[in-house]
Amino acid sequence: MENGLIFIDIEKQMLTANGPMKLVVQTTIQLGELVAVFGESGVGKTTLLRILAGLSAPDKGMVSFGNTVWFDSEKQINIAPQQRNISFMFQDFAIFPNMTVEQNIQFAQPEKNHSFVAELLEVFGLTEFRKYRPNGLSGGQKQRVALARALARKPKLLLLDEPLSALDSEMRNALQNEIAKANQRLGLTTIIVSHDLNEVFRLASVVICIENGLVTRSGKPEDVFSDNSISGKVQITGQIARIQKQDTVYVVTVISGNNQIIKVIAFENDLENLGVGDRVMVFSKAFNPILSRLR
Amino acid sequence: MNRLQGKISCIQQSGAILLVDINVDEHVFSAMLIESATRQEWLMEGNTVELVFKETEVALAKNLSGLISMRNRMKCTVRHIERGELLSKVSLQFLKYVITSAITTRSVDSLELKIFDEVEALVKANEVSLMKKQ
Repeated sequence: MENGLIFIDIEKQMLTANGPMKLVVQTTIQLGELVAVFGESGVGKTTLLRILAGLSAPDKGMVSFGNTVWFDSEKQINIAPQQRNISFMFQDFAIFPNMTVEQNIQFAQPEKNHSFVAELLEVFGLTEFRKYRPNGLSGGQKQRVALARALARKPKLLLLDEPLSALDSEMRNALQNEIAKANQRLGLTTIIVSHDLNEVFRLASVVICIENGLVTRSGKPEDVFSDNSISGKVQITGQIARIQKQDTVYVVTVISGNNQIIKVIAFENDLENLGVGDRVMVFSKAFNPILSRLR
Repeated sequence: MNRLQGKISCIQQSGAILLVDINVDEHVFSAMLIESATRQEWLMEGNTVELVFKETEVALAKNLSGLISMRNRMKCTVRHIERGELLSKVSLQFLKYVITSAITTRSVDSLELKIFDEVEALVKANEVSLMKKQ
């Protein structure tokens, strides 16, 4: 019987900007899920993606996709990337400048499938641009072409390494919706590397948090990022943008996951271990907030 | 944040609303909470928890008489006053704890607050959060 899991149990020594670090990941991913791998830069997120793609081999361990073993250090199995039925897209993707949008997408297909190319053009809103060459497209449209091309070979697994980080927030939101749509419509498993909380919440059904090479938490984003150890019901995660002393208190500006600016009054003891750039949970009791209809 | 440690002595519930009594060195505090979808495992009678309330939620009274609706009353001694233009911070000793109240400087003046004054610090039950003991 086919088992519906990606099984990952690997170790790999890495050399990072902060010196050597060991990536240790033991986790399973349900097929069909859209999973985010979340963490700061240099913690091993991209290395994990490269291991899944077969572009990098773990020092030891095992990776399997359903019943197919992709990597097993003991049995010396290491399936080549082109035999894993995956597609990946990195931040610095490239599309062929001398081909049209349609040709770029077709190029990725081992066997031509025109109706599927038409479907992809439609999913990504590219139908009317299919005869354009890339230099006539906007940044967001190029990104869509790259995504459509990554899907053209009908991969079972789509690996995305911060694919949207260069886009403005509106374009990013639109593409996030399209990625979610594609994941559902094509029955894919998608793993997206992200350090953007908003993206994780919008897209992922499961998030795997990596810190210093280790999986620290995983689960549904709302469970992973909400703090169950406090009774406050209004919980917003964000990043400290500014701390200003005003009068006898501090006004702390926090940018939330969906880019709302929140100001919180804080006192010295609240700020003992906190500084600009730190991620925080802003919580309040359910009794305090006031609702007002949006105009 | 002000933090006190106490033991949950009673949990009264009506629908999703909970009124939790917490015993802090024989003083009973109350916290009104909304229940989560699943009751946290630490929110049980007999468990030690931390009571948390913000400095700006602590009202101060001097020579208070009559009845008042505020459930949490702490007899305190003023230990320090940091005057700001609009907002002042008053450090108070309550039992073995130090708590802080942030009130308007106008109130500091109208109460004629000074060091060693005996005051009552007051916090509404719905301003108290509970935290799992660290």
